Amino acid sequence: MIGSQSAQQRLALLWALVVCLLVGHNAWLWLGQRIVPDTDILALLPLDERDPVLQQSFTHMVDSAQQRVVVLVGAREWSDAQRAADAYRAALAPHAALLAFDAIGDEAQAGWLAGLQRHASLLVGAEGERQLREQPARYWLDAALARLYSAFSGPKLGAFRDDPFGLFAGWMQERAGETPVRPRDGRLFVEGEGRQYVLLTYTLKQSAFSLGAQGAVVPLLDAARGAAAGAVPSAEVIQAGVVLHAAAAGRQASREIHTIGAGSLIGIVLLTWLTFRSVKPISLIVLAIAVGFLGALSVCWLLFGRIHLLTLVFGASLIGVAQDYGIYFLCHRLGADPQLDSPALLRRLLPGLGLTLLAAVIGYLGLALTPFPGLRHMAVFSALGLVFAWLTVVCWFPALIGPRTLKAGPLARGYRALVARWPRVSNQPAALLLVAVLGVFTALGWSRLKVNDDIRSLQSSPPELIRDQIKLGKLLDAPSPVQYYLVRGSSNEAVLQREEALKARLEPLIAGGDIGGYQALSNWVPSQRTQAERLALVDNKLLAGDGPLAGLAREIGEDAAWVAATRAHLRTNAVPLRLDDFLRTSASEPWRHLWLGKVEGEYASIVALRGMPYAAIPSLARAADGLAGVQWVDKVGGISSVLGRYRAWMGWAVLGAYAVVFLVLLPRYRGRTWRVLAPTAAASLLTLALLGFAGQSLQLFHVLALMLLLGVGVDYGIFMQEEHERGIDAPWLAVGLSAASTILSFGLLGLSGTPALQAFGLTMLVGTALVWLGAPCFTVTKEEPHASPVLA
Amino acid sequence: MKRTHLKPILVRLLLAASCAAAANSQAAAPVAKIQAMLAKPEQLCGRFEQSKQLAGMKKPLLSSGRFCVVAGKGVLWRTLKPFPNTLRLKRDEIVHMQGERVAMRLDASQEPTVRMINGVLFSLLAGDLGQLETLFDVDGSVSENGWKVALKAKSAALARAIGAISLDGAAYVRSIQMNEESGDRTSIVFSDIKTGPAALLPEEAALL
Repeated sequence: MIGSQSAQQRLALLWALVVCLLVGHNAWLWLGQRIVPDTDILALLPLDERDPVLQQSFTHMVDSAQQRVVVLVGAREWSDAQRAADAYRAALAPHAALLAFDAIGDEAQAGWLAGLQRHASLLVGAEGERQLREQPARYWLDAALARLYSAFSGPKLGAFRDDPFGLFAGWMQERAGETPVRPRDGRLFVEGEGRQYVLLTYTLKQSAFSLGAQGAVVPLLDAARGAAAGAVPSAEVIQAGVVLHAAAAGRQASREIHTIGAGSLIGIVLLTWLTFRSVKPISLIVLAIAVGFLGALSVCWLLFGRIHLLTLVFGASLIGVAQDYGIYFLCHRLGADPQLDSPALLRRLLPGLGLTLLAAVIGYLGLALTPFPGLRHMAVFSALGLVFAWLTVVCWFPALIGPRTLKAGPLARGYRALVARWPRVSNQPAALLLVAVLGVFTALGWSRLKVNDDIRSLQSSPPELIRDQIKLGKLLDAPSPVQYYLVRGSSNEAVLQREEALKARLEPLIAGGDIGGYQALSNWVPSQRTQAERLALVDNKLLAGDGPLAGLAREIGEDAAWVAATRAHLRTNAVPLRLDDFLRTSASEPWRHLWLGKVEGEYASIVALRGMPYAAIPSLARAADGLAGVQWVDKVGGISSVLGRYRAWMGWAVLGAYAVVFLVLLPRYRGRTWRVLAPTAAASLLTLALLGFAGQSLQLFHVLALMLLLGVGVDYGIFMQEEHERGIDAPWLAVGLSAASTILSFGLLGLSGTPALQAFGLTMLVGTALVWLGAPCFTVTKEEPHASPVLA
Repeated sequence: MKRTHLKPILVRLLLAASCAAAANSQAAAPVAKIQAMLAKPEQLCGRFEQSKQLAGMKKPLLSSGRFCVVAGKGVLWRTLKPFPNTLRLKRDEIVHMQGERVAMRLDASQEPTVRMINGVLFSLLAGDLGQLETLFDVDGSVSENGWKVALKAKSAALARAIGAISLDGAAYVRSIQMNEESGDRTSIVFSDIKTGPAALLPEEAALL
């Protein structure tokens, strides 16, 4: 006994050393390194499928959107909109180091077409090309005459003879049609819903996911909005940007850390007080949880080099599980013979305690099997937290809590009586009837259970942000950054030709109203093949021998020399346009993000879609079928299907975990092993049925919660099956305390505004309550009535 | 959709609009006087003679027809010779007809700058210098029986696109000259100007 005492003390000292290291490391991290948790929601997304080009295309599209803040300032009158926009800009002007205004140079605007003049004769729009193929010579002659005579017409970019048939002007008009944004009075202008808007775009100088940037930018944008409203009270300001969503998510998460963390802590403190009527057990349990938290954080940081805010939120719920060990020990200490010293008591409890830890860690590590880095972090964080808390209980509690240090509070005294009258699973008709009723209930609930894996149902941005986003997208007719075509080829030319093949497939979809249009670099730089074809068309249909050009000369009294000179002039403006040349012009600025360039030895580009309703996605996906080098990319659909795949997969993993836990428990419990697992299994089935009745759609996070429920529920099963000669109601008390506080912490998680966490929390809430209520039903009946009460 | 013919106008004015300077300077004294001289009738119709001298062409291109400017409704520009060709500008649309055929229709929902374009053309024909001043430096002189203004584009880009414009007139605009950097020149002379409800011919009223 003495030996074990001193062994226990050495263990406690060793653990004290470890805890000191943890505290030191944490202090260094938070105070020295000033680490900041991530708030990037994308960290929840899977590390991508092993296609670097696809991955880069997505980063490319998202990055180009991520660092931008797009603002529309509108009013009924253009002059008001301008004044409000100027006030908005003025308010942000001093903060250019944080938010840089994307100025539009007047000269760049004016000169953007000048660079294309040399290629003007080649640049024929799709409509122009169709007309060249279909319309007779007379049509072109009339067209040229109308241009000659009608008022204010005449060459737009240069003289009449630069574009006598208006083909280049038509091409430009088509390009202008790709966006409703127009330059006006040195600003960018867009119109809609009876208002005139000034478009302002800003580039965020720090990551949209840096908490510092969010903290600084959001108030600035609010102030700018206020300035605009001050200048023109009727002005409407629409702001959109990833930073706003990230900031909202960050604010929500930190709010929830506080409420969930504080809420569960208060709940547990209160419960322990009512049970033990002493501060000491409370402080010991808090101590165990704190060591668990610090340890998890330290090791996670060492493993991953970062920590996500959502991991911490989820980690807050760890409190609900980590306390089980302390409570289990305390309840047994309360119920045990005062003659028995604490190290001896611990040795007796150790098998049960070890198994509960093992089962919980198995449950948590089930989460680590998902491909979601965020969830993996959460799982590792939680499992580590449990291990550290468990070690704290094992190393310290026996040394700190001797016999006779605990008294039973009112809760403990009243509560123990309950278990005696609890129904048991047996062959009695009443029990069988109850089981049958519950079975029918479960089957009914399951039949109502729907499935929804749409990632969008997991989004939780504030409705006003979503509303602004939608309105802005509509006004700007912006393409979707998460659904597009990825086009690849061995050369620029191959990519452009494949884009053109794709575009031919998309034309009927535009005509049918499935999409509004597309944005592609080949709109600006047709493939060399197409350029040559169009030049040949222009040559044949307009410039050749006795064609429309010659006819025009006759009508206006010009001679053959004029015809020859004009033809030669048009030919000099037919220098083939190369992609690289175009990308150097200022005209390419808004489109450069569509070109990925050379990635992994091949060339790639993006064809983006405007005005795309979700209903059109299947036909859009089909449009790429059979086209070499063209791939439909639907990031939303992709993630949703990953979620769906893993929901199904996790379902099997849960069943597998039950099997593993069963095998782990079998050597100790033998024929009673099923009794350990049955409460949890039954509770899981019933929880799913209740979700079905509540109209909740089953998704990955419900299944993940069932995995965790296994970890938690098995604790209760083990507690209830671990009997000791006189401590029969100690486990019952431990289960009650643990379950109550688990429900407190996960119940609060159910209040989360983040739908994923909410689904998780609700499942845990219902499931834990059911395990708690169900656990005594599976205890072995015959031993129970003779147990003498120990809690006096 | 056929929209070949009017594109030059559109594109030109798109650029014009893009290049307008922000400053809304105070009307210079002559401009104020000219504005005072201008009649502001509800309806204004008359004849026009247009002469275009295009770069690389020997002979000027002559055309003529009728035009109407109706406040709050729009502008009708009917070329009658050498062949019929009608341009109709309303607040929200631009329609171009070759003979009876609608050669082009463009509305504000497709092309958001339609209203701006129409506003500028309206100002030009109505001599609304106040509006034009947002785009041009207006240099004017006033004499006994009329006024003359030279519009100089405020930005190089606008100058490149639309060139220099000069207007002269008295109670109404008498003529417009446009000299483009490309060398193309257009001159329009207005005559036979009538105002009041009777100015608009029935077929014109039907068109507008």
